[in-house]
Amino acid sequence: MADQTGWWSAVESELRALGHELEVPPASDLTAAVRQRLEGQGLQGKRLKGQAVRRHQGPDRWTGLFGRRRGWRPVLVVVAAFLVVLIATPQGRAAIAHVFRFAGVELRQGPEPSRSPAGGGSLPGERPMSLEQARRQAAFPILVPTVLGRPGRVLVSDGGRVVSLVYDHTPHGPVRVDEFAGRPDQIYFEKILHLASITEVRVNGTRGLWIKGPHEVVYITREGMTTTAPARLTTGNTLIWSTGQVTLRLEGNVGKAAALSIASSAR
Amino acid sequence: MLVARYTLRAHRAAYLLGAGEESDDVVQEAFVKAFQHLSRFRTGEPFGPWLLRIVTNETRNLVRSRRRRAGLALRLGTAEPAGTAADAPADEVLAAERRTRLVAAVNTLPARERQVLVCRYFLELSEAETAQVLACPLGSVKSRTSRALNRLRGLLVPAPESRVPSG
Repeated sequence: MADQTGWWSAVESELRALGHELEVPPASDLTAAVRQRLEGQGLQGKRLKGQAVRRHQGPDRWTGLFGRRRGWRPVLVVVAAFLVVLIATPQGRAAIAHVFRFAGVELRQGPEPSRSPAGGGSLPGERPMSLEQARRQAAFPILVPTVLGRPGRVLVSDGGRVVSLVYDHTPHGPVRVDEFAGRPDQIYFEKILHLASITEVRVNGTRGLWIKGPHEVVYITREGMTTTAPARLTTGNTLIWSTGQVTLRLEGNVGKAAALSIASSAR
Repeated sequence: MLVARYTLRAHRAAYLLGAGEESDDVVQEAFVKAFQHLSRFRTGEPFGPWLLRIVTNETRNLVRSRRRRAGLALRLGTAEPAGTAADAPADEVLAAERRTRLVAAVNTLPARERQVLVCRYFLELSEAETAQVLACPLGSVKSRTSRALNRLRGLLVPAPESRVPSG
């Protein structure tokens, strides 16, 4: 029996490790579709339900499901009034609105940051190492902005999921570049900010986001949970852009033009 | 915010429980139902397991209606984990082989036992959360888990006599 218990605990930890390696296709952003369905039901009644869905999901995917669903109609009538309240109140809207995603970063509307900028806010499992070591550890090719030269420090976090290049002395003051694989099914950072402070920019012909002013940034783990590490406040401005394979996030007291020239020099 | 925060977990659960390419649909449906029944929920319990329970129900309905199981087997991701490049040492190769056999063994388990393993180990839920998500008593979670692990053992550890060639 002791042998069995040993085998059990071994296979249990193997199964847990296996969970991280199973193939799961990317999830779609459902915020808009869910909101539209709730609004469609709540404000216009059941007649538009199918149409609201079809616009998002294509004509064939939901008809089968709706054909089977006979218990819906009486429920809808009861629920409609509640939904109107849900959609009409600020709390209800906040639950399902004002979120968008860009290349592994989730941005959402939030109150103005009240905390003073935190210097640390290190990521889980953060380890300093040489650029060469980091290239072997990282799950993606690391890009280095050539105009800044070699980074002063290279930090690899969360088992190679995120790599940070830290430049303590540049003509623009300290600059930090976080890099991660641009996987569509994963969120790496959540930013809480005024959506009004975001402008769309182009970096080497691809879309990027320029975020003016400090905001809170939270690291999100592989499982979609926020980490135990506290949210930190960014310093200065932030530029986020993606090469398709890699998403980069540049942060510092850098103006827009300088940030764009640093970004376009990343190789 | 709720939708965005919970989508990845819910989608992962739906996919691993067998919703396949319809996982997005299942999750969308689950969110709509969750919001519709929000009044029933607000009793201080955590939102995650409650949502996963709806996701599990929707997935079961889907699987039941689909009548085919092809293409729903769990698979290892194609991306190599960091550090297992061309110079991977022999024990890593063995470990990879073992993982492949383990996935194959999990895929042969009866649906109810597989669901418990998915919840407990792949979604990393506690026994109590698994009971909540699968809508079954805690005792069933325990007994299904041990049945499943025993079955895996039978599949992965051949009895000594079976290794001896019969001829």
